[in-house]
Amino acid sequence: MEYVTAVLLPQALHGLFFGAALALLALGLTVIFGLLGVMNFAHGELFMLGAYAGIVVIGLTESFWVALVLAPLAVGALGALTEVLTLRPLYRREPLYGLILTFGLSLGLREVVREVWGGDMRRIFEPITGSVPLLGMIYPKYRLFLLGFSLLLLLILWLFFTRTRAGIIVRAAVQDAEMLDGLGVDVPRVFTLTFAGSSALAALAGLLLAPVITVYPTMGVEWILLAFIVVILGGMGSMGGSVLAALVIGEAQSLFSLWMNPQRVAIAIFAIMIFVLIVRPRGFFGREGVLE
Amino acid sequence: MIGRFGWRMWLAFAILAALPALPFMTGYRLNLAFDALLFGIVAMSLDLLMGYTGMISFGHAAFLGLRAYSTAILLERGVRSLWLCLGAAVVVVGVYALVVAYFATTRRGIYFALLTLIFAEVVYTFFRYTQTFGGSDGIQGLEAPHLIPGVPASTLGSPLENYYLVLILLLLTYVLCRTLVESHFGRVLIAIRENEDRARFLGYHVRGYKMAVCLISALLAGVAGAVYPVRLANATPDLLLWTISGEAIVMVMIGGIGTLVGPVIGGVFFILLQEEVSTYAPRLYQLLGFSPEKGAGLHFLIIGIILVLIVLFMPKGLVGLFRRRRARRAPSAAVQTVPAGELE
Repeated sequence: MEYVTAVLLPQALHGLFFGAALALLALGLTVIFGLLGVMNFAHGELFMLGAYAGIVVIGLTESFWVALVLAPLAVGALGALTEVLTLRPLYRREPLYGLILTFGLSLGLREVVREVWGGDMRRIFEPITGSVPLLGMIYPKYRLFLLGFSLLLLLILWLFFTRTRAGIIVRAAVQDAEMLDGLGVDVPRVFTLTFAGSSALAALAGLLLAPVITVYPTMGVEWILLAFIVVILGGMGSMGGSVLAALVIGEAQSLFSLWMNPQRVAIAIFAIMIFVLIVRPRGFFGREGVLE
Repeated sequence: MIGRFGWRMWLAFAILAALPALPFMTGYRLNLAFDALLFGIVAMSLDLLMGYTGMISFGHAAFLGLRAYSTAILLERGVRSLWLCLGAAVVVVGVYALVVAYFATTRRGIYFALLTLIFAEVVYTFFRYTQTFGGSDGIQGLEAPHLIPGVPASTLGSPLENYYLVLILLLLTYVLCRTLVESHFGRVLIAIRENEDRARFLGYHVRGYKMAVCLISALLAGVAGAVYPVRLANATPDLLLWTISGEAIVMVMIGGIGTLVGPVIGGVFFILLQEEVSTYAPRLYQLLGFSPEKGAGLHFLIIGIILVLIVLFMPKGLVGLFRRRRARRAPSAAVQTVPAGELE
């Protein structure tokens, strides 16, 4: 019992907030993938930019909460600009070009950040300090906030995609952009706004996690791999699948690290993915024929 | 032989072979040329998959790195014969490539790319965290292998010998690839790239062809990997990082996808560009009054920008500039004419 409350439960909660943050990251990736057919290799850099934009805003205003609003907006604007300038001319070409383009963008963004802020590890201080007793254990308040806020965001996104007209248009565009175009919807604008939204979401995840992890220019490289695994595991283009897969990976990562060293944890995660792909080649909720 | 491979190719190799005779080819420049040609081999092998079969591998670094490691491990354990090292490396990469090819070829398009990426990450994680193989430092301070067993005089190790070694490997790789793509096997690969289902309906065992080309491509990339520790005297996990796989794709794109010469040009261009930019960036910074250390990673920024520009404005790469008139016949043109979605 001691073991459950002192070790297992905190680690499980840890996995839950980790998974929820990962879901925010993976959702943008899967929507962009479904919409544009582009596996966005720069997504990890947008996540990283969120943390750095947060550092700038916190430096100016000394408020984490202002940064939580402004940083995603700034990165979202950058995303919109990137989409219009670089991805839009590629829509008529095969997805390979988008993949390679975003790989180039990720290289560039990473180095811009390294040039401007240097390669050192940075930290953002937790805006909420202290711990609270919870279910017989002591849990840091900020992590609790992180968990609640991420889950709330996921709920809002779910409502957006199921209840609002804009969300339904995005989902329709994922299904069949041509048909949507025929119905008179300005599809390029949908693409741009969705890309901006996905960028802002990645940035938000980056800033939210920044106080818990360290911030450095190549942090995106590690995170995007996990996000890729989540997207494959959940089924390409399936938003619900992504969220479920993110929670599975978050919990697996967190619980496995109780019993294994980091190397074994990483390999176990890869093994899960390979196993799922053999048993269920399309992931949890992958649709038939999506990019096969 | 001349008629088959064209006089241009033999001329190019004659020029490359004569290059070290020029006065400015110091040991440093020769080492740079070694790297450039070596990555040229990697890019050429990758284009067999990307350009000819329409399969994007994001895990080529694993083939390169795995073989570098197997050579390095043998050298470290006292096996000094170059041929034994190469043989062992063939077995290691061959087995790994078969496993990857078996699982990855069940998927198409981006699934294939991501599966190769994930498999490569497993290898990276293994070497990065296994202290027996040096962990993040890798295996350092290797001695050069013997070319001929028991004859110490013929040890490899001077920049000139290394350069010729990699040049000969490049020549062999090119001849092999050219023969391959012009054979019936190569035609089937192009058929698969154009329309996989149609190739299957025509009775071809598509998955068998795909696995075969994966294996060939992996082993060729491995050839380059096996000689890498010879020059650097080390093998580090950085070689296995997925960004290296991405750089190999960049080389293919810069040079010209769907050609054999293009990726080599792309590889040489990429390595030289990286070198020149990282040489001049600190000076540029000094001139502008910044501290010179800040320019260390600037070359990636410039490479990123060049890559974006190439994808946007020069989809056929550098080779496309010279081949505009022949574009209709060149295999690279086919990639362009395939309707969106067909290659997936």
